[in-house]
Amino acid sequence: MTHISFRDRGEPPFEGEVDYIVIGSGAGGAVAAATLARGGAKVAVVEAGAWRDPDDYPNSTYGSMRDLMEDWGAQVAIGKALWPVVQARTMGGTTVINSAICVRTPADVFERWEKEFGIGQRSGQGRLADRVWKHQDDLEKELSVEEVPPEARGRSNLLALEGANRVGYKSYYMQRYVKGCVGSGQCMQGCKKLRKQSTNLVYIPEVLERGGIVLSSAPVHRILLEGRRAVGVEGHFDHPATHKRGSAFRLRAKKGVLVAASATHTPVLLMKSGVKSKALGNFFRAHPGTGVFGCYDDPVDQNIGATQGWASVAFRDDPGLKLETLAIPLELVASRFSGGGTQLMERLARYRNVAMWCHSVRAESAGTVRAPLFGMKPTIRYGLDETDMKKFREGMYLLAKTHVAAGARSVLPGISGLPFEIPADNIEIIRNGPVHPRAYIAILSHLFGGAVMGTNKDVSVTDGSGRVHGYDGLVVCDASVMPSVLGVNPQHTIMALARCFAEDMLR
Amino acid sequence: MLFFVRNAMLAFYPRTGDLPGLEDTDFDTFLPQFRRETSFMFWLGIVLSAWLFQWTPLFTVFVPLPAFLLSKGLRDKHASKIGSSEFYLVRQAMLILKMPAGLCWGRHPDVRKRFALPAYAADPTTWKTS
Repeated sequence: MTHISFRDRGEPPFEGEVDYIVIGSGAGGAVAAATLARGGAKVAVVEAGAWRDPDDYPNSTYGSMRDLMEDWGAQVAIGKALWPVVQARTMGGTTVINSAICVRTPADVFERWEKEFGIGQRSGQGRLADRVWKHQDDLEKELSVEEVPPEARGRSNLLALEGANRVGYKSYYMQRYVKGCVGSGQCMQGCKKLRKQSTNLVYIPEVLERGGIVLSSAPVHRILLEGRRAVGVEGHFDHPATHKRGSAFRLRAKKGVLVAASATHTPVLLMKSGVKSKALGNFFRAHPGTGVFGCYDDPVDQNIGATQGWASVAFRDDPGLKLETLAIPLELVASRFSGGGTQLMERLARYRNVAMWCHSVRAESAGTVRAPLFGMKPTIRYGLDETDMKKFREGMYLLAKTHVAAGARSVLPGISGLPFEIPADNIEIIRNGPVHPRAYIAILSHLFGGAVMGTNKDVSVTDGSGRVHGYDGLVVCDASVMPSVLGVNPQHTIMALARCFAEDMLR
Repeated sequence: MLFFVRNAMLAFYPRTGDLPGLEDTDFDTFLPQFRRETSFMFWLGIVLSAWLFQWTPLFTVFVPLPAFLLSKGLRDKHASKIGSSEFYLVRQAMLILKMPAGLCWGRHPDVRKRFALPAYAADPTTWKTS
């Protein structure tokens, strides 16, 4: 078993040779690496972040933002507004800090990919949709997927289901990659109770057990190309605490390099490595979302129970939304409340009695990811058009309506231009609220595109197996290949696609 | 510089009858630690936001003094008004101040106790080395 962590600058460069190198250890990279290792290949996983086991996970939100997140969660997409892009930088990627939500890829996604991008037609390996669903069956077993158990639901999730039932739309307690959740409300800090099946606990150890190499704190600066063939990677170790540059590492791949560095970093890494493609960095998409607080007479204590335990996809087609609960830590609530001073403290004093429920928009708007002149930090340009903003606003109204049906006396939508607190009998005014993105505090939670699949090389970067057009041994296996948003949580789709692509590499 | 940042952050989270303020937490230990651990760009944003906070009372409470020279009451009013400014970039700048200050305030055991939340154990700051 070989795990190489940070090496100081004075130490000799780390060098090695394997069959395949996988860049990134999140949902896509870890599954691809484990699939290749199961196929008998010698695999190296190279992860930019440090490897933290549950005993190393921070307890506080401060620690989580410092130790587990990319740039303290302060990376933003620039458009009409500045909306944060939340990503992890740790072994296991975002699977360490997310809510481990498991949703099967809807059939209409494959239909669209086939019709618009020529992806997924029947080939030697069978239809892509069937392969993905088969892998999703297996992943659900491997990752012990289960519904949020009753003892871990917490009042916020219970209220949301009750509210949805009263309004009259379908909703459910989530299926998650969590084994025996105890509802500690610490999904965002990494599950110290060892219940969440993040990839640093499942697939990365498997890669090591099967004779692979894992490099942590090892951001790849360049994919090595010989002509049009990917033959390795190189970079420098990065100290997990000080971020001082360490010694160099250089790995060579006999058979191929798989890139799963995320929808923002994969395009940048390909650009910086000299990969030529007209479409690289284009068609970046997301599920932008925000939350609406409901104010209840009795304490909700949203941090007791699963961080996210309830969802609805009843509005996925019309107007194009998904609704979920999301417990916001006390430390971050002030960032969602306007005002300051005594007024802000009075608002914060109600924390126990508020529940935050969120929406994500199935947005059609697209943006770009570009490489900076210096360094590797992506420049993300993204904004919602008016059609998507109307969906966004409608989602806030639906959440408010659900809160009111669940018994909330008032709601706090956080829309600039509307009152801070809106009484239950006046929530209709949300529907007449502004549609400008600057009026809202939102985040981009799920990211897609930037190195999209397709058959037309002018508008796509990879083929239907994630292979970069015009290059040998270079595969993308993360959300950057997805040419459209899904309208559901993407982790299950990313994992299953990565398994398909890794299988194709082995053939 | 640290004085301006400290003063602005404290103004956003004052002590009230109900709640401990930022001044009741370990903020003076937190701020230098945060400055050391955060990225240059994030800290630069915080400093610029603090300057904006300090030099704008004329537009919020109509007093031609920097915020740190205002009375407690006027500074409180300034924090309230600038924190809900109609100008997007001003709101965003204040968010940059409120966010790290909130990370300090919300992790303090006295504050957490007030909200029936368990106190945090210290962050391990460790990682796997082998």
